[in-house]
Amino acid sequence: MTVRAIRKHERRALVHDRVQVILLGLFTLVCLLASVRGAQYRGALDAAATSFEAENREQDAAWRERVVAVESGSVAREDDVFAGLAMDVARPAVAAPGPLADFSRGVTDVHPFLSRVALWRSVDRLFGNYQFQSPNEIRAGKVDLAFAVLFLMPLLMIALTFGALSRDRDSGRLGLLLSHPISVRAVVRSKLFVRLGAVFVILVASLLAGLFLGAGGVPDGERLGRFGFWFLAASGYFAFWAGALYWFISLNRKSETTALMMVGFWVLNSLVGPAVLAAAAQLIYPAPSQLAFLSTAREVSNEAYRSRADVMQGMLLDHPELTVQNYTIPEYIRVYYLVNETVDRAVEPVLEEFEAVQSRRQSLLSRVQYVAPAALAMRSLNEISGTDLARQVRFEGEVRAYKRAIARHVEANVLSGEPLTLAEVDAVPTYAFRESGLGAIGRNVLFPVGYLFGLGLLAAARARRNLARLQTRFREA
Amino acid sequence: MIRAIALKEFRQYWRDGRFVTVFGIVVALGLAATLAGWSAVSAMERERAAAVATDREIWDNQGLKNPHSAAHFSRYAFQPTFNLAVFDPGLTDYVGNAIWLEAHYRDPAALRPIEDAVEIQRIAQLNPAWVIQVFGPLLIFVLLYGAVAGERESGTLRQLLAAGVRPVSLLLGKAVSAFSLTGLLVFGVLLGSAFLMSADGIERLPDTGLRTVGLIALYLVYLAIFVFVALGVSSLSARSRTALAALVGIWIVATILGPRIGPDVAGALAPAPPAHEFAARLQQESSDPFWGSSEEAVERRQAVMDDVLDAYGVETIEELPINYDGHLLQESEEFANDVFDALYDELWGSYERQRAVARAFALLSPTIAVQHVSMALAGTDIHAYRHFADEAEGFRREFVLLLNQEMIDHGGADGYAYVSGNDFWRQNPDFAYTAPGIGDAIRGVRGDVLILLLWLAAAVALAAAGARRGFLAEVAA
Repeated sequence: MTVRAIRKHERRALVHDRVQVILLGLFTLVCLLASVRGAQYRGALDAAATSFEAENREQDAAWRERVVAVESGSVAREDDVFAGLAMDVARPAVAAPGPLADFSRGVTDVHPFLSRVALWRSVDRLFGNYQFQSPNEIRAGKVDLAFAVLFLMPLLMIALTFGALSRDRDSGRLGLLLSHPISVRAVVRSKLFVRLGAVFVILVASLLAGLFLGAGGVPDGERLGRFGFWFLAASGYFAFWAGALYWFISLNRKSETTALMMVGFWVLNSLVGPAVLAAAAQLIYPAPSQLAFLSTAREVSNEAYRSRADVMQGMLLDHPELTVQNYTIPEYIRVYYLVNETVDRAVEPVLEEFEAVQSRRQSLLSRVQYVAPAALAMRSLNEISGTDLARQVRFEGEVRAYKRAIARHVEANVLSGEPLTLAEVDAVPTYAFRESGLGAIGRNVLFPVGYLFGLGLLAAARARRNLARLQTRFREA
Repeated sequence: MIRAIALKEFRQYWRDGRFVTVFGIVVALGLAATLAGWSAVSAMERERAAAVATDREIWDNQGLKNPHSAAHFSRYAFQPTFNLAVFDPGLTDYVGNAIWLEAHYRDPAALRPIEDAVEIQRIAQLNPAWVIQVFGPLLIFVLLYGAVAGERESGTLRQLLAAGVRPVSLLLGKAVSAFSLTGLLVFGVLLGSAFLMSADGIERLPDTGLRTVGLIALYLVYLAIFVFVALGVSSLSARSRTALAALVGIWIVATILGPRIGPDVAGALAPAPPAHEFAARLQQESSDPFWGSSEEAVERRQAVMDDVLDAYGVETIEELPINYDGHLLQESEEFANDVFDALYDELWGSYERQRAVARAFALLSPTIAVQHVSMALAGTDIHAYRHFADEAEGFRREFVLLLNQEMIDHGGADGYAYVSGNDFWRQNPDFAYTAPGIGDAIRGVRGDVLILLLWLAAAVALAAAGARRGFLAEVAA
């Protein structure tokens, strides 16, 4: 009996074992479902972003046309006193879905990714009303390829391998096999090679299907580059599990004990570990109270409104050059601007505190994630997909900064009541969200992914040693 | 005989380190989850109480202001987190804590705790209900996979039957032992929760006692289902490892796959309106047809004017004894309210359809049905959220009417220049929320209860079939 013969036999056994075929089929189906649902989800996000940008372009063009009309003299200024009203400047800020948002939806289903940045809105309301997603759906989580890789793939690997050694041992086949010039290690490795190989082939096929389905055709370079990292991370997680299962098998326990240990390890790694880490991070670094933040914004807004005369006076003392020029513009517009500006200044430290807490939590998790490889793999997959929390926090911070940039650009006009000229309108800053480069992603995820491979190799090395001892025991017996 | 068998099983569990370890881990998780739930709910309630007080104070001291401007600033309805959320937070983290009761718009609840959570919380959130839903069945399967198959393998089953032990007694003895242990877990976690739920500062849900009894009954039925399934599978399996593999497969489908795939497929089959699109529709459809420049809007405003002039028997607005601006604003509210009703019905309807589709998946996974009923009893499901949102909306309408009426009755010809002072604000009522009783809460989950009872009947039938076939086969052999 040779390794080749064992592999051939294993392949045949795999094809003829109904339970294993059903399990592999189910995994394939779920992966396909994940790819299709992922593509639909990404398509919906893309469509929302595209239509939002189109609506905004249309509104901005119409608004600009009014300025053109007044400047060209086709409409008299007194017939459209609000043309070019500086307070009305508004621009879109969009974080298009991450390049692999269909692979791993991350936090995209609860956070805003569109904003019409307008001076009429204080920073605490920049994203409008977006909380209409179905709470049931958000709570349950999504079926995406990350779910298939993180949860189902290890379970399938367990189901296919838990009896790899013990069944042959219990049935007496192992003794028969070892009467040939072959080691226990070679027998177990051959079995794992075939069974886990089948899982890996399905995984690769599903990821490739997802790559093309989500792109709606040939993927671009950015998507391909990310896919390379995603594939590496998924392979790292596969390697970690393959090594861990090899080690469990090498302990040479009863089938059910091996299965129980494997499932217990899955539960600890995939459910308990992440849940405990999340709870610990939030306990150690609690977020500031959202309700207190809301109260602060309202208190400041109310106070600024009440003392609007003082606010206006203060502004004029600081900027005498901005004394109102255009008395056709209602006073309340300037007041609104100043009140919003006061609110922005007051809530900015609180928003920064929210960001700081998230940053501290991320930093803590970056250190402790190594105790729960599922959490580590999830964070890596999200980051590669462009659906991670850090990206979202960056986007929200950039949108606030963008509002400040617009305000700086038009403030003098808002306060003096002077309309914007066409040149000033065209010079209003625009916003473009920049995804992290592949280099940055590589720097962030290569070590965690390397750790997964390392753990897998370490476990495999321990397993080899255990099986070598077992071989000696068999020989002695 | 049943008692003797149960006692023997207890002794066996006690001696088997694996069972003690698994049970210890699950109990520790349950306790940690209960403490975490209590800490979260206490913090939310403290923050809510502070926010309610601040909101009132800000409102009372806003100074001179036009009542309709005040309606734009308006107030907030803060959702209480009731005591049973300690046990099952359900959708608490996924729906917002506060609804802005502004004029002209029906806002969604904002400030969702999930937006501040770390991303790995999406894998699993530690709470007592989740611990029982996921780990209760696993514990039962670990205790019972070898209940009959193990006895058969070791040859003791034949001895027992030969000694006159009735198959039913054997099964019931084993069922009682496993059920008692896991039932203890339910009682322990619920009693711990109940103790912490009674702490000061946590608001009590109406019918808390009945709901707690309902929760105990619910989870006992849930665990009983898995006890009988385990006994049935173990009886029908020739080997304990086969039984274990089958039971772990059932556990995965029931507690991991089903609760994730069901709502996801429901989201695909009964999609909720896209959040951005829905927000835009709310804004446009409630405002443009009334305040816009279209012919329809102009005619609508004209009709309002004609009607009010007719009603007062005067020719011009100036002759009206009321403030016409206030009247027009209130008319726009009435118009918008119908639009909000229609659109929100659509939104709630889509959530409801999603639940119905997910409920169909409960035929594959009783965990889905248990989640629905548990959340309903804990007052943390979509019906509870809708009840709060509808009550808040009712209050918003009355509150905005109150403010507009102040302007209509006392504004005279001042139009928007009319202002009210703190004396008026201080007379305005607070939003007081009373959650529905248990009858209303469980009305929406009768289908889920029925499915659970069907599951129980099927599980008992499976155990009975297992007893018949498995034991007869043993006797025949």
